[in-house]
Amino acid sequence: MTSKHRPPDRQLAFERMVRPHLDRLYRLAWRLTGRRPEAEDLFQELLIKAYGKLDDLARIDEPGSWLSRVMYNLFVDERRRFARRRLHTVHDGELAGEGIEGMPGNDNPVGNNERLDAIRALEAALSELSDEHRIVVLLHDSEGYKLKEIHELTGLPVGTIKSRLHRARTRLRDILTQSGTFP
Amino acid sequence: MQTEELDKEDQALQALLKDYPVPEASEAFYDQALARATHEGSRRLRNRWIMTGFGSAVAAGIALWFVGGFLMNTPDIPPTEPGIPGVTMTLEDPRTVNLVFASATALDSAILTVTLPDGIELAGFPGQREISWQTSLNEGKNLLPLELIAVSPIGGEVLARLEHKDRNRTFRLRIEVT
Repeated sequence: MTSKHRPPDRQLAFERMVRPHLDRLYRLAWRLTGRRPEAEDLFQELLIKAYGKLDDLARIDEPGSWLSRVMYNLFVDERRRFARRRLHTVHDGELAGEGIEGMPGNDNPVGNNERLDAIRALEAALSELSDEHRIVVLLHDSEGYKLKEIHELTGLPVGTIKSRLHRARTRLRDILTQSGTFP
Repeated sequence: MQTEELDKEDQALQALLKDYPVPEASEAFYDQALARATHEGSRRLRNRWIMTGFGSAVAAGIALWFVGGFLMNTPDIPPTEPGIPGVTMTLEDPRTVNLVFASATALDSAILTVTLPDGIELAGFPGQREISWQTSLNEGKNLLPLELIAVSPIGGEVLARLEHKDRNRTFRLRIEVT
């Protein structure tokens, strides 16, 4: 094999290894950051980092879990960067409105309006939580991660995760009751 | 009775959280992200080798740098100084100003600092005159939307300074408040 053939081989090997995990990683990036530009930055940064560690990746039994942990650590290490990062590449049409209206859902207009109102209220309530509480409740209640999986991802003791989960739910319930979302 | 209501609220909250959506990414986005990762990942690996082999001085010497900034929206007040765009704001009325930084090459770990005059605030950073954060630029155009709020009628000049290694560029934007 000549050296000029190495990059495509490496690229193919990389894609083969990470592509099955992209959906889950993209969702995780969204849950961690809460906004598209930051989620895309985090997702992109993870892939760049993973490409540089392709040899390690090839030896790992569960690359999906490993990639998730790397993403979480990247987020924690560079939280300031990803929380406040405001630069992103301009694509045509990107300046048009972006938000929950563009998200997948059923097409019933009446049902959708109620759903959108409730989701907007939830989104506002989530923004009042600390990152620590918001992330735990979203991973557990929205993404369906088990406590053990959150422990493996974050390294937090299960007791701490349970406590954060409880506090986050209580706070969300209080905010949503005060806002009239829950009658 | 109170417990029943709490249970109902818990169930409603659980249902809402379970239904809380994440936008789906397209296959095209994944393809693009993978292509960027291999391109940028290779570049970083190459840079690592260059740094190892020749030292940082040589690496700094061959690094390409070009970055310029401009206002994406059409300036709505005529420039009093050539090359300095301006916008007009209404007191207490937030306005998003889009700055675009065009970079000839991808830049990692750049520091972006926004300096605000008295009376102009950046949404989310009340009372702060200087806000700084680390960022990366992709090759091409990079957008910086700044949501500004005029809290006094003085106006002034907003500075957006981009620093990378020992280089920097400052973008100036004149604000008038009506």
